[in-house]
Amino acid sequence: MSLLAQQLVLAILLGGVYVAVAIGFSLVWGILNIINLSHGAFIVVGAYITWTLFGRLGLDPFLSLPIDAAALFALGYLLQRGLINRVIRAPVFFTLLLTFGVNLAIVNLLLAVFTSDFRSVTPPYAGSGIVLGPVVIPSIRLAAFAIALLLAALLSLLMRRTRIGAAIQAVASDRDAAQLVGIDLRHTYALTYGIGAACAGVAGGLLSTVQAISPTAGEPYTLQAFVVVVLGGLGSVTATVVGGLLFGLIEVFGQSAPGLGAGYANAIAFAVLVIVLIVRPQGLLGR
Amino acid sequence: MSLTGSTSNEGNLSKQGYDMWLSWINDQGGITVGGVKHKVQIKYEDDQSKPDLSAQLMQKLITEEKAQFILGPYGSPATASDAVIAEKNQIPMVEANGAAQAIFNKGYKYTFGVLSPANKYLTGVIDMAATLSPKPTTIAMLSADDNFSVEVAQGVADYAATKGMKVAFDQKYPNGSTDVSSLVAQAKAANPDILMNSGHLAEAIAINKAAKDLGVNAKILAYSVGPSTPQFIKALGKDADYVYDGSQWTPQVKYTPAFYLGEADYVKAYKTMFKTQDDPDYHVAESTAACLALQKAIENAGSLDAQKVRDALAKLDVTTFFGQIKFDSRGLNIYKPMVVEQIQNGQHHTVFPQDVADTKPQYPTPPWAQR
Repeated sequence: MSLLAQQLVLAILLGGVYVAVAIGFSLVWGILNIINLSHGAFIVVGAYITWTLFGRLGLDPFLSLPIDAAALFALGYLLQRGLINRVIRAPVFFTLLLTFGVNLAIVNLLLAVFTSDFRSVTPPYAGSGIVLGPVVIPSIRLAAFAIALLLAALLSLLMRRTRIGAAIQAVASDRDAAQLVGIDLRHTYALTYGIGAACAGVAGGLLSTVQAISPTAGEPYTLQAFVVVVLGGLGSVTATVVGGLLFGLIEVFGQSAPGLGAGYANAIAFAVLVIVLIVRPQGLLGR
Repeated sequence: MSLTGSTSNEGNLSKQGYDMWLSWINDQGGITVGGVKHKVQIKYEDDQSKPDLSAQLMQKLITEEKAQFILGPYGSPATASDAVIAEKNQIPMVEANGAAQAIFNKGYKYTFGVLSPANKYLTGVIDMAATLSPKPTTIAMLSADDNFSVEVAQGVADYAATKGMKVAFDQKYPNGSTDVSSLVAQAKAANPDILMNSGHLAEAIAINKAAKDLGVNAKILAYSVGPSTPQFIKALGKDADYVYDGSQWTPQVKYTPAFYLGEADYVKAYKTMFKTQDDPDYHVAESTAACLALQKAIENAGSLDAQKVRDALAKLDVTTFFGQIKFDSRGLNIYKPMVVEQIQNGQHHTVFPQDVADTKPQYPTPPWAQR
């Protein structure tokens, strides 16, 4: 029973990580119709910024999150404006290829700068936790969970309550009409992509405290983001949150499924994905 | 050799090991064959950490560069694909970086590995545990699902029973898993004396973090791959203390080498040659050992003929700074023991077997709350 409670806690906290990983990916896919294969690489870049600031300046990993966000926003904005925008109206295949190329370029650049060594950020308070009887709530994971939800709430506010959000929504519904009413298309696209990258940067900063990172560690995150978005559905922040939490639950309980074992965790997760696709192709909360 | 790509770190260390020997042997004038000294050349190609490419490049080195003998690439997967090439061309390959027994169970006659095979990686920890008091009896094993890791885990399960211990919890996770916390929670529920991981550096770091997060107070924490690297200590800081691992070699071991350098001189030569303060790790040492095995076999054969050198390798029995090198009928070096290392106060120490150890194990590992 206590094991079940512990698993449930871990599953929900892991779900928070998935929300952070997927939220920027979901935005870029939903608004720009780009399946951003360099998303995982952005996450790793964010993780390396946090690691560098922690190692060189002793900056607390949670305090470096705004810096991750700002740096990745700039990177994302420039990449979209200078490169990806050139193929934005081309079939989706071209953006797939291009973002895949960007991914390779970033990964190899990171390998050259940081080598393939594994790194991790271990602040002094790592490992402390809230103990409730037999159940431990690790404080770093709890903080990461809270920040992931905060990030989701901020993004949701941005989309609903600000002029930038309104412009982004307008471009998503009809780009020609949006242009007619005076919205700068290229700027809005680049903003959206930049915000997506900024979310990835924050996710990377969070991940560096709970996992080991290396330049090639990004690919699983792209895949996880993809699954979360497909599960939850495109088009809303809430859908990504639901998808992320659900995927956390599936992963953790898949690892301890009676009679199967952790080797089947991925198989179970993807079986659920296939079932969702058959029953509700637009995702659980998709429009 | 994987000079770029995901295992470029290990690949470059292995290359350093080969180059150490190369510079030494050519300073001596080369390998003596029938009284004549032959200078040595090593030709490298970068396989970008891709096993298929490794095999292609190996064939190219044989046909275009007329390679007479092969030194292995980095990693079990690349070694497995290169073994096929060695066999097809009937050219002996001495390898130092592929420990999966699967490579040697195919009846190949031209592949020789100087390192201890995968199933021995963590059995040294069991041997050590059996000498400690209070004696630990239960083991929780978290293992990745690749060939090498599964062999390591199986080796522990088979061996533990003979020492009166049992594996109370055993789970495999998909290779490259990013989150292991729920597995660690399950392992904790089994309340093991020994928590083991048979996987890779990234997972070892994640498991150690999760063990602290969840308060898993095992008496021994031992991981197959990871703790022996300086990165493990850098990534975890003080939390890396008390962790054990099985290592092919450490700078502290004491063997009586028949030729080449002793351990201390080897470490000194390494630091001079590569202008570094770091000790050579076991990837470097085992790679140098592969060269030594090949050199000795060529000298023993008194010939550069591939067939004769192969036969000399099969009969080789020599002690080097790396330990004994002798191959069984499959080409595996099952005669050299793995040593057990423990991280104490941020430093690697060799703690077992006692005759090569530089200090005693700090046992039992104190609970996380009291560190």
